[in-house]
Amino acid sequence: MAEIPILRIGDCLLVSIQVDMHDRLALALQDDLTQRIVADRARGVMIDISALEIVDSFIGRMLNNIAAMSKVLDAVTVVVGMRPAVAITLVELGLGLTGVRTALNVDKGLALIRRIIDNPERDDADRER
Amino acid sequence: MDFCLLQVAIAAETDIVQVRSRTRRLAELVGFDLQDQTRITTAVSEMARNAYEYARGGRISFRLTGEAPRRTFEIVVRDRGPGISDLDGVLSGTRKSATGMGIGLIGARRLMDDFEIVSKPGAGTTVRMRKALPANAAPTTPAAVKDIIAKLAADGPADAVAEISRQNQQILLQLEELHERQEDLERLNQELQDTNRGVVALYAELDERADHLRRADELKSKFLSHMSHEFRTPLNSIMALSRLLLSRSDGELTAEQETQVGFIRKAAQNLTELVDDLLDLAKVEAGKTTVVASQFSVASLFGALRGMLRPLLIGDNVVLVFDDSQNMPLLDTDEGKLSQILRNFISNAIKFTEKGEVRVWATTDSVADTVSLHVRDTGIGIAAGDIDIIFQEFGQVAHRLQGRVKGTGLGLPLAKKLAELLGGTIIVDSVLGEGSTFTVTIPRICRVGEPQEIYDDWSIDAERLPVLVVEDDPADSLAIQRLLAGSIYQPLVARSVRDARRFMQSVRPDAILLDIVLVGEESWRLLLELRSQDAGNDIPVIVTSSTGEVRKAVHLGADDYLAKPVDRDRLIDALDRATGRHSTTRVLLIDDEEVTHYLVRQLLPRSQYRVWIARDGRHALDHLSENRPDVILLDLAMPGMDGFSFLSRLREDTSFAGLPVIVLTSSVLHPEERSSLSSTSMVISKSELASDTLVNAIGSVLGAEAGIGAR
Repeated sequence: MAEIPILRIGDCLLVSIQVDMHDRLALALQDDLTQRIVADRARGVMIDISALEIVDSFIGRMLNNIAAMSKVLDAVTVVVGMRPAVAITLVELGLGLTGVRTALNVDKGLALIRRIIDNPERDDADRER
Repeated sequence: MDFCLLQVAIAAETDIVQVRSRTRRLAELVGFDLQDQTRITTAVSEMARNAYEYARGGRISFRLTGEAPRRTFEIVVRDRGPGISDLDGVLSGTRKSATGMGIGLIGARRLMDDFEIVSKPGAGTTVRMRKALPANAAPTTPAAVKDIIAKLAADGPADAVAEISRQNQQILLQLEELHERQEDLERLNQELQDTNRGVVALYAELDERADHLRRADELKSKFLSHMSHEFRTPLNSIMALSRLLLSRSDGELTAEQETQVGFIRKAAQNLTELVDDLLDLAKVEAGKTTVVASQFSVASLFGALRGMLRPLLIGDNVVLVFDDSQNMPLLDTDEGKLSQILRNFISNAIKFTEKGEVRVWATTDSVADTVSLHVRDTGIGIAAGDIDIIFQEFGQVAHRLQGRVKGTGLGLPLAKKLAELLGGTIIVDSVLGEGSTFTVTIPRICRVGEPQEIYDDWSIDAERLPVLVVEDDPADSLAIQRLLAGSIYQPLVARSVRDARRFMQSVRPDAILLDIVLVGEESWRLLLELRSQDAGNDIPVIVTSSTGEVRKAVHLGADDYLAKPVDRDRLIDALDRATGRHSTTRVLLIDDEEVTHYLVRQLLPRSQYRVWIARDGRHALDHLSENRPDVILLDLAMPGMDGFSFLSRLREDTSFAGLPVIVLTSSVLHPEERSSLSSTSMVISKSELASDTLVNAIGSVLGAEAGIGAR
């Protein structure tokens, strides 16, 4: 089975989805990621979906799940590189990625993660606002 | 205008990915912008997943329909699944599927211009989605459509690679599965091996138990036979003393005393019977009973039984009938034991028959060569369930004659044991209240017991030469004993090399027949040992084997080698050579008449004479030097070389100078013929041919010829 590589940058994990994922691959990624978070004691997870041409309800839900699980494991998830067409379609589809933080690209994503790790209270405050 | 662009099947989860990429490519080719491509692809992805998730697959078709200003791209997703039960609920968003996927339908409807869904429970679901083509899209002409299809097809190779990789993955999966199965098998195999070991261990235990039981049974039999003897002595005293009292030789008895002594006597008598039966049974069980076979007729057996059993008949209520048995073949078995079995049957029959007859008859089965003796009564019969009991020692069945009829409960078990000893069986056929038939079936000729009688008998016969037969196979040693029966060699069997050594400490055999196969290295060692000792190195050893190790045998010092199976002539010859004896007289018969061949062979005992035959003088001369006889029996009138010419040729050869010749003739000889026979030892007329004349003649000529021959 092909699998999606998970790279480690400092205390962050970087997942770059370069192929159109089928559902089982998506579920496998979910499992791998949670295990790696624990194994590497990662504090942040960045998912690069710049190569994805579509994000349908299943993949959207998978992203949501990953964000929720990492939060439980004390890690922050940021999705970066979403295409505009994908973003529009997601909204039209009625699927807000409510639990997922997003950033425009990898640089900004890393910065966001760093900031949240350093000031967890502010992050929560951001949310509540 | 209506063009079908593509039809795709969804059968596996990975097909959804294919459908997605196909949809995006198609949307691009028909002229949608990037945003619409994403919308359409997302919507199709949702529907394809629904079809796979809920209906295990379906079909998707893509078409272009409508005329110039209002052209649409239409996608139809069809499945044959169970259908959607609460379609309105799902579409209105009030109902979400258990898997949380309800969003798919609603979302797809939002993403497309037109969305129809038809779903009937049990009849599948059809979703029809449309999106208007942009105004600037290329015109839909057959040529354009063809172009689109061609471009799609050009993507094919990528799909083919994907397909191959998919299949590869499936193969990998199957390999993994196979591997697992193999592991399963190995585990199973291991388990079986463990089980097997367990079973073997159990068997060993069972063997041990069986051995214990056998020993216990043997002990019991020994005890019984011993005790029975001990019981008999005091019983005999009681009987003798009570008889003495009743004879009043010690004075008069009162009537009361007489009755009491009578009871004592009766009780002692009953006890004696019981002890006798017990003793018989114990003897059979301990294997002490030997079968003494003799020839007798059924009629004489019946006659003896009639006389013996008539006294048992009391009153006229029961008649004892023996059927005519004149036509029965002669029996060759143990008459005493057969009579004991029948006595048991008949006395039982009389005991349990209040009125009617007891009939005894015999039948024969010529094919199996068996004889069956039947005893039928019209008595109380035995219930089917009780038949096993009556053959158990002391087994007695409750019946209404109990009070009147007494028995030890040993008669039938003894009869059964005796029948088995004779190689036969007992069958009971009985109907409760109507009577019983007891049948004993035995081989007409009893061969049981012979092997035991000659087995391991180390008593030396002074008249014969002891030959030690080292042979572990009972069948082979028995065969050798049979072959040597009647010869001057007495076979003494040692079943192991150990026995053989023990034997040689007490007896020095004239020769040793050593079997190689079974004892293996051990027997070779024995041979080496014999050859290295001073005491045994001149005892001739003949190796018998079926493995053909002639050279090894000779190398290790064996005097001769016999391949198994051994026949009598070769065996005796080998023993003669080894011991330097002449145990048999070797007779060459030169005659053309088959009647004479037959006669001479019959008249000369096989154990002492070896006869071989030549049909004329020429034939005889050809083989004379390689096989030198002790004596020649010569006929005179033969086709080919006749007796006279044979004689003159024989006398020319000095190496046969002392060879005695006895002339057998059927004609009266002329005086000149007689004179030409002067070199012969004796002339016998064929009309006088009889066993003793021939044996005496050979004996006298051999005695005259410087005592050749051993006897």
